Amino acid sequence: MNLRYMMKELYYRKRRTVTSIFGLAIGIALLIVINSLSLAYRQASRVPLKEIGADITVQRSGDVPREMAGAVFPCSAVTIRKEEVKKIQKLPGVKGMGTALLLWVFDPNRAWIVLGIEGDNSIGPIILRSSVTEGRFLEDGKPEALVEQAYARQFGIRLNDTISVAGNKFPVVGFVDASRAAKIAVANVYLPLKEAEDLAASSKELQSVSSYASGDVNLLFIKADEEKITGLVAEMRGILGSKATVATPDSFLKLLGSLFALSDKFTLAASLIAIIIAVLIAFKTMAGNIAERASEIGILKAVGWTNRNVVSQLMSESVIQCFIAGILGLTIAVVASFGLSFMKVNIPIPWEMSPVPHFLPGGGDQIFKTLRLPVHVPWNLAFFAILLSIIVGAMTGGLLGRHIAKIKPLEALRYE
Amino acid sequence: MSKAAILSGTDLSKRYGDLEVVRGVSLTVNAGEFVCLVGKSGSGKTTLLSLLSGLEKPTKGRVILKGREINGASEDELALFRRDNVGFIFQSFNLIPTLSAWENVALPLFPLKMTSEERRRRATELLDKMELGHRIEHLPSALSGGEKQRVAIARALVNNPTIIFADEPTGNLDSGTGEAIMGILNRLHIEEKVAILMVTHELELAKAANRLIRMKDGEVVS
Repeated sequence: MNLRYMMKELYYRKRRTVTSIFGLAIGIALLIVINSLSLAYRQASRVPLKEIGADITVQRSGDVPREMAGAVFPCSAVTIRKEEVKKIQKLPGVKGMGTALLLWVFDPNRAWIVLGIEGDNSIGPIILRSSVTEGRFLEDGKPEALVEQAYARQFGIRLNDTISVAGNKFPVVGFVDASRAAKIAVANVYLPLKEAEDLAASSKELQSVSSYASGDVNLLFIKADEEKITGLVAEMRGILGSKATVATPDSFLKLLGSLFALSDKFTLAASLIAIIIAVLIAFKTMAGNIAERASEIGILKAVGWTNRNVVSQLMSESVIQCFIAGILGLTIAVVASFGLSFMKVNIPIPWEMSPVPHFLPGGGDQIFKTLRLPVHVPWNLAFFAILLSIIVGAMTGGLLGRHIAKIKPLEALRYE
Repeated sequence: MSKAAILSGTDLSKRYGDLEVVRGVSLTVNAGEFVCLVGKSGSGKTTLLSLLSGLEKPTKGRVILKGREINGASEDELALFRRDNVGFIFQSFNLIPTLSAWENVALPLFPLKMTSEERRRRATELLDKMELGHRIEHLPSALSGGEKQRVAIARALVNNPTIIFADEPTGNLDSGTGEAIMGILNRLHIEEKVAILMVTHELELAKAANRLIRMKDGEVVS
């Protein structure tokens, strides 16, 4: 391979070189952008669960309360027994678990959505700690409440006021900003889990629909090995039965509904098409280039170049063109990804995951998690694209070079 | 083959389909000899040159170049043999359009393990001899026909060949330039003691040769 000869060929055959480089670069850019978008949707689909510090949430649907009085379970989240919780906790792939108890409390003058949260667990609604805007977070063992800021404003609840929930008094120790909090299991009032358990255990209405014992919960937040999530979902359904509602990043991905979010198969198919287009463009332009140079190859062979010399020269030209195309494609993809990263996506949060009574203001509204699509080109994808472009160059240059190098010098000189 | 003979073709024939272009030709070229193959267009002289230089394999007969029978050699063996022993000058110059004059001269040296400076030095020396020292960086498109052919002659000499095969080297040149090129070939033959086998259809040009071989209808007639 002679570098000087190679560079001169690429320089003096500008039109063909530029066509070849741009054609392949567009294919490579498409490949990168498609995969980056797909990855971005995947990352976006993890956000709602990530916000609550989990990879999976588990609930069980049940019957609608007969009467909206006192503490009841929303029909989308009824009792998960402590034995069931323990079984799930022991499943291989479960790295950690948080629990919570979501209640609707209908007092004579007011309806509350109450979430009982663990104070000593880093998984689950404890993440609210960072959303406290005034006052402090709940302290272990104390019967106290956090109130959602907008709700407090609406009903004139102030810090250190005492609120009465299902006949139980709780001092308000802080306010939380729901707009900064997770969109899953959103409540008006946050209590220590023990207090919420007591509310549930003492509610006849609740017990009549879904029997409940202290220690049971109705929301599970699970941290899991990413590659075991699919298997875990099946096992959890096996433990909780057909009414289990298990939310995973994949279920949010489906809710997003984008082509990129729909399936890996689409991304794979689109990537393959991009690769095939790139290879065909590279092959066609290189084939044209090499055919155009048949007489030149005849000269090389006449003056003593072996087949191997010819092939390695053509291959190196092809590899360098494709490498430049790879770099250009990557640059185009990075710029395009930057542009696409300003795009916003609305991830719908199913009502079941953050139930609000329909008859309350905003109860029927769809909740969305809105975020900027986190499009970026990961290093491994960039590396793969460059490697792929080099392989395409080596293959096209090698194959075409071997083909043309078989021509006898005199035959090639006759092209003149 | 005589002691001084460097090239010998024996009973050479070449057939393309039903057409026999060269018919049982035998000839020898001695070291330092200038031999001219003359004949009308279509007489088979270029094909015979291709057979003798190893660019083409004969249908029948054998070629011995520098003591080695080249008929059975593979494409790559022939290429290496050409690189080490043979120089070519073509009618249409056959320069690489993207390479400068000196790079075209150095073309046979590209696959060899030597530095770019060495190649350039060797090519520049030869271009100086061809009085093209001031044109070494020019592309073929910037050179006249005569200059192109002088670059081609320099390229033929770059590997210190034992024999140069020249196929109508003045065919694309005007008479004045053609004479100049013939002058260079003569000088090479005399000063460098390089054997030359030249094909031409112009008897006038063949006068410079030590020996004249006439061809007609694929056969040597005298």
